[in-house]
Amino acid sequence: MADRKKLSYASKKSLYGYGFIGLWLLGTLIFFLIPLVKSLWYSFNEVSIDTGSMITEWAGFDKYKGVLTADPYYTEYLRDTLIETAWKTPMILIFSLFIAVILNQKFRGRVIARAVFFLPVIIATGPVYKIISGDMNTTGNAGGGMQFSTMFSIDLMGELLQFLGIYGLSDRMSDMISAIADNVFSIVWSSGIQILLFLGALQNIPPSAKEAAELEGATAWEYFWKITFPYVSPFILANFIFTVIDSFTSPTNKVMERILAMGSDWKFGEAAAMAWIYFGTILAAIGMISFAASRFIYYETD
Amino acid sequence: MSETGKKEAKRLRMLKMNRKERACLRRRTAVDIVWRIFRAVILFGLGFVIMYPLIYMVSCAFRDRSDMTDPTVMWITRHYTLDVIRETMQAMDFGNTMKNTLILNVGCSFVQVLSCSVTGYGFARFQFKGRKLLFAVVIMMILVPPQVISMPLYWQFRHFGVGKFSVNLIDNMLTMYLPAITGNGIKSGLMILIFCQFFKGMPRELEDAAYIDGCGPLRTFIQVMIPNAASAFLTVFLFSVVLYWNDYYVSSTFFTNTKTISLMLQNLDTELKMWLFNSAAVEIPPREQIVWKEAGCLLSIAPVLIMYVCLQKYFTEGIERSGIVG
Repeated sequence: MADRKKLSYASKKSLYGYGFIGLWLLGTLIFFLIPLVKSLWYSFNEVSIDTGSMITEWAGFDKYKGVLTADPYYTEYLRDTLIETAWKTPMILIFSLFIAVILNQKFRGRVIARAVFFLPVIIATGPVYKIISGDMNTTGNAGGGMQFSTMFSIDLMGELLQFLGIYGLSDRMSDMISAIADNVFSIVWSSGIQILLFLGALQNIPPSAKEAAELEGATAWEYFWKITFPYVSPFILANFIFTVIDSFTSPTNKVMERILAMGSDWKFGEAAAMAWIYFGTILAAIGMISFAASRFIYYETD
Repeated sequence: MSETGKKEAKRLRMLKMNRKERACLRRRTAVDIVWRIFRAVILFGLGFVIMYPLIYMVSCAFRDRSDMTDPTVMWITRHYTLDVIRETMQAMDFGNTMKNTLILNVGCSFVQVLSCSVTGYGFARFQFKGRKLLFAVVIMMILVPPQVISMPLYWQFRHFGVGKFSVNLIDNMLTMYLPAITGNGIKSGLMILIFCQFFKGMPRELEDAAYIDGCGPLRTFIQVMIPNAASAFLTVFLFSVVLYWNDYYVSSTFFTNTKTISLMLQNLDTELKMWLFNSAAVEIPPREQIVWKEAGCLLSIAPVLIMYVCLQKYFTEGIERSGIVG
C-alpha cells in the first residue's frame, strides 16, 4: 500500500495505459509478432516436416534465389500483379474521389445513391464477389451462354444499353465501350471503402472555405483544385496505401494463390520466401510513394 | 418567397446587369444543367454496374431450371418457383451453417470490436513508455497481409502451448476466438486505428469530470466513453461483421470441416452435386448450374444485406463522425 502511494499521477496513468493495451499486447506477441519472425526465419531455411515436428536447416539466401530463378510461375505472376496494381491503383483513386465529390453534392436520391455505392464494401471481400466477378468462367461457362452468364467483362455496356432499350450501336463503338467496361467493373467494385473515406474527408472541409471561394467567384474547377484537393490530399495517401494492401490480399491475386499452393505442398521455406519478396516489394513501393507524396500533402494545423 | 416572386426578382436582377454579366450567368446555368445530366448518367450507369449482380441473383434464384436454357427469358421468369432456393438451402445445410456462422463469425466480430476499442482507448488517452513503438506495431498489423503469417500461425495452433504441454487447436473455435479476444483478428489493426482516432477526438473534459467524481479509468471507459462512442462502435461493428462473415481464408486455414456460410458457398458446386445426385462426378450443364449458384449467393448475402439496409442510415451518416477521417 505504501508503495502504491509513492507512484506519481503520471506513472499511475501510464500503468493504466499498459492495463488497457495489455491483452492486445499479449495477443500480438503470440498471434502476430512470433509468427512474423518465424515466417522470416523459414524463408532462410530448408523446412521439412517430420512426424509432427518441424525441422529447419539454415539455407541462407538459397530459397530466395530458387524462387526467383527456378520457379516457373512466380516471377511472371509477380510482374503481372505489380503492373496491374501500378495502373489500377491510380484509376481507383481518381474514380473514387470523383464519385465522392458527386455523392457529396446535394441532389434528389442522394441517400439511395450512397447506399448503392457503399454496397461493394459489404460484398467485395467475400466469396460472393468471386462468383459474380467471373469465377463462373472456370466452371465451363465461357462458350455461348453470354446472356446467362454473370460475367461482366463480356458485354456490360451492351447489357446496360439493352436494359435501357437501345439496340444496334455500331460494332466498333461497342467494342471500344466493352473494352472500357471490362475494367470498370473491377474498379467500381474495389473502390467502396475509398469512396467512403473520401466522402468523410470532403465533409470535413469547413463551410467557411466554401463561402470564401464563392465570394471570390471561384468556378467549380478552381474550387476543386484550390480547396477540395488540398483538404483531401492526406486521404489520397491513406487511400493509396489501403488500395495497395487491398489488392495485395485480394482472393483473386495470382501471387498469393501461388504462395498458398506452395504452402499446402508443405514447402514452407519457398512459400515464406515468396511472401517476403512480394511483401518487401510492395512495402518499398508504398514507402517511396509516401515519401514523395508527403511533400505535396497539405495538413491543416490548428 | 413564392415561386413567381423569385422569378420576378431574378428578372429584375437580370435587367440591372450588362450584356457581359448576363452572358456569364447564362453560361453558368448551362454548365449547371449539363453537369446535372452528366451526373445523373454517371450515377445511373455505375449504379447499374453495382446493382446488376444483385438484380441478376434475384432474377435467377426464383426461376425454374428449364428457364435458364430458354433464350427468351431474360429477367422475368416464366415459371416462378421456390424449388431452387429450397434445394440450395438443403445442400448448404442452411440451418446448421447459419448457426455455425452466427456462433463463430458474428461472435468473433463482436468480441473483436470490444477488444479493439479497449486497445484503441489505451493508445489514445494514456502516455506510457514504448507507446510509439507499439503503435508502429499496430501499423505493421495493417500492412502485413494475413497470408504471410498464416503458415507459422497454423503450426502454432497445431501445437499450442509450451513443449510437452501443447494441444492441437486446429478445428477448434478457439483458433478464431483467441485472436479476436486479444484484438488480433481479421483487420484488427485498422479497427484499433479507427478507435484510437475517434477517442482522441473526444473532449477530455468528459473523462476529467468522471475522474474528479472518483471514477476509475476502467469504469470511466465503460460508463462514460462507450455510450458517447456509439457511432464509432456501430461503424466498426458493421465492418467487423462483414469481414468475418465474408472470411473464408482464415476459416479454411484453421478448420477442416466446420461449415460457415462463406466456406459452404466456396464448395457449393460439390455440395450440390452430392446432395442432388449423390455423386461428385455428375456434370450439371453450366447454364443450369447458375441458378443454384446465384441462389446460394443470394442466401449467403441476404442476412448482411438486410443488416446493411437497416443500419444504412447510421452507416452512411455515422461514418463522418466516426473518426475514420481522424
